[in-house]
Amino acid sequence: MSGHPEPVRGSSPAAAPSERPHSRRAHIALGIRAQLLLVLTVFLAIPWLGYEYVKELERFLRDAQERTLAGTAQAVATALHDRGPLFEPRAAGLDTLPAERASDKQTVAGTAVDAAASPEIAQILHGLSRTTARIWVVDREQHVLARAGSLRRPPASAAANDEDSPVGRISAWIDREALQPLYGRVLQQPTEEFSDERSGRAVAAGKDVEGALAGILTIDRRPTADGKAVIVSAAHPIWVGDEVKGAVIVEETTNAVLAERNRAFGRLFNIVLAALLVGSVALTLYASWLSTRIRRLRDEAEAAIDARGRVRGRLSGSAARDEIGDLARSFGAALARLTQYASYQEAMAGRLSHELRTPIAVVRSSVDNLALHPLPDDVRVYIARAQEGLARLGNIITRMTEATRLEESLAEAERERFDLARVIVGCVDGYRAAYPGRVFELRVPSGEAQFYGAPELIAQMLDKLCENAVEFAASDTPIVVALQEDESRFRIAVSNRGPALPETMQERLFDSMVSVRERRGDSAPHLGLGLYIVRLIAEFHGGRAIAANRQDGEGVTVSVTLPRVRAER
Amino acid sequence: MSRRIAIVEDEPAIRENYADVLRKHGYEVAAYSSRPDAIAAFRTRLPDLAVVDIGLRDDIDGGFELCRELRAMSASVPIIFLSARDSDFDVVAGLRLGADDYLTKDVSLPQLLARIAALFRRSDLASSPPASEEIIERGSLSLDLKRLTASWAGRRVDLTLTEFWMVHALARYPGHVKDRDGLMREAEIVVDDSTITSHIKRIRKKFLALDQKFDCIETVYGMGYRWNAP
Repeated sequence: MSGHPEPVRGSSPAAAPSERPHSRRAHIALGIRAQLLLVLTVFLAIPWLGYEYVKELERFLRDAQERTLAGTAQAVATALHDRGPLFEPRAAGLDTLPAERASDKQTVAGTAVDAAASPEIAQILHGLSRTTARIWVVDREQHVLARAGSLRRPPASAAANDEDSPVGRISAWIDREALQPLYGRVLQQPTEEFSDERSGRAVAAGKDVEGALAGILTIDRRPTADGKAVIVSAAHPIWVGDEVKGAVIVEETTNAVLAERNRAFGRLFNIVLAALLVGSVALTLYASWLSTRIRRLRDEAEAAIDARGRVRGRLSGSAARDEIGDLARSFGAALARLTQYASYQEAMAGRLSHELRTPIAVVRSSVDNLALHPLPDDVRVYIARAQEGLARLGNIITRMTEATRLEESLAEAERERFDLARVIVGCVDGYRAAYPGRVFELRVPSGEAQFYGAPELIAQMLDKLCENAVEFAASDTPIVVALQEDESRFRIAVSNRGPALPETMQERLFDSMVSVRERRGDSAPHLGLGLYIVRLIAEFHGGRAIAANRQDGEGVTVSVTLPRVRAER
Repeated sequence: MSRRIAIVEDEPAIRENYADVLRKHGYEVAAYSSRPDAIAAFRTRLPDLAVVDIGLRDDIDGGFELCRELRAMSASVPIIFLSARDSDFDVVAGLRLGADDYLTKDVSLPQLLARIAALFRRSDLASSPPASEEIIERGSLSLDLKRLTASWAGRRVDLTLTEFWMVHALARYPGHVKDRDGLMREAEIVVDDSTITSHIKRIRKKFLALDQKFDCIETVYGMGYRWNAP
């Protein structure tokens, strides 16, 4: 017979070989939470801005302090203006002033006036002294004429904390135990324990004095010898007429400014830290929630499509109205369409056969009618050929409907306990009779092989496997049918020598209407349905079918693994 | 007097071809292309046998409907379904509606003729007493080859023509395995293996309905089927 029809190339849904959707990549994978935290580092700018602000505040306070000191110096100098007799050189005898006594530090009003070289000036100073400023009056030779005030501040009055509420108590506790030590590391803390080397001197020296005595209001800022405090001083010349007769020096530590700065810093940062903490926690929770939703979507998507690209399940729609919900819904819709398309594809064979029956019936009934008329013999030949062609067509249709019919009957098939080995042996005996030119090798373990399944389906499956093997086996080579068993499953393998399978097609072989190998001989047309039926029956029993090239590279083995069910024991 | 056969088929070529061959064999043929036409005619006069296509024009299951209505009018008129569909559901549904047989459209005309003749013979003899020389008995099974009926333990088993011929093929030589091809030949059908399986399954079910312990039909895997005398 001439003219083999082309093997039917199926158009099963494009199924890429299985690939884990979230494969490991070379670079670091950052989850959404990690990404969010990275983005949050931008907000670290806020504390830095706060710090800059506080520094500005400090600068402002320093300027204010300097101006105040200058003002005070000027006021005192004005009070001592044109008081010539006060600045006459003194009788020798007094070289030094007694050092500031300890009691000075405790005086609340701070207007301690110790023994001054000039009692009159001291008297004037007395009215002008303040608690945290120290005022010197020196003459032209830089001898100290009078001194008042103290650099050291009295201890702060008891803080009027409102610690009544629990929140107040807790926040005060947190503030004391955790935050203040933290801030203390960053900021210089004011302390009253500093060495004050100028205090006892009878002679004042320094840039400020020299500047004032030169007639210029001078402001100086210098650290104490031990570096624990900074002293700001303003010195104003005292004019008598056109001459500079002396100078007023007003000194103060920057401790007040520091304290104020630290307090501002503390309050600002408490708020900033609290806000950052709350913000970070809230955003992290939100990111966690987002990433959970996305992960759930991913898991559902993975579960919905199995390794071969067949749609297995449905995606539950999401009611959320944001982008992730949209994504879930689109994905669900795409899957639904894919399912529809796939089932359309699979129903193709059934539909085709259904459609073809009617025209074939037309041709057949016409030819049969023709045959009933008296006709010359040479015409009868054509009728015979037409009927033969019709028979083959009918055969094709039959094979096509077999798969559809199987799908339907699988829905109602009943399982029972039977001896798998006996069925296989029986079938192979039948094949030996049906394919007389072929050698069948049987490898079945002795004894019973109890299996819980549908025996006629297993027989049908084996029929297809052997049909397939017979068609592609090289002539004079045996076809091996083997049954293997272990604790958890049975494995039926049919192996033949012959052309090998192309690597990429091994999964798709089991799809409907996919035919890979060249047809050999003029046997029944290869529609690519046999292995599809094998797969359906394997899956009905909870197993799967695999086609692979043999180890020795000489041929192909198609095997079906069937899990053993407890009902068998 | 020649018998009247009604053909209900919407495809004109097929309809005419069948009508032609049936007329050639001496039957009177009335051909209809739609259900309303056929029913209207049946109300006037019932046919002696009806060949019905299931899918009629836009009426997907029109044939089933027709069968139901015809059966309502007469319980004994033989009805043969002819269809492009051959799924198990359709066959079962059709037979349950009371049809006597179900064939696919690509059946050859000689086969169709043989069945029609057999059905006529069966219905003719339904009313006459059974002739003993044509009865085969195998245990509780009794096959009347003339009337083409079967009974089990005295009770009538409602088999279609196809099924009757299959049971006959098996029971004629109990203990011998009949392969699928043999069964197909005897039943005068050409179908695939799983159709045979469905037929056998249906036959078993019908016997089981009468006798829960029925297991005379044994499946010999790889070979075929066998009737085992109990």
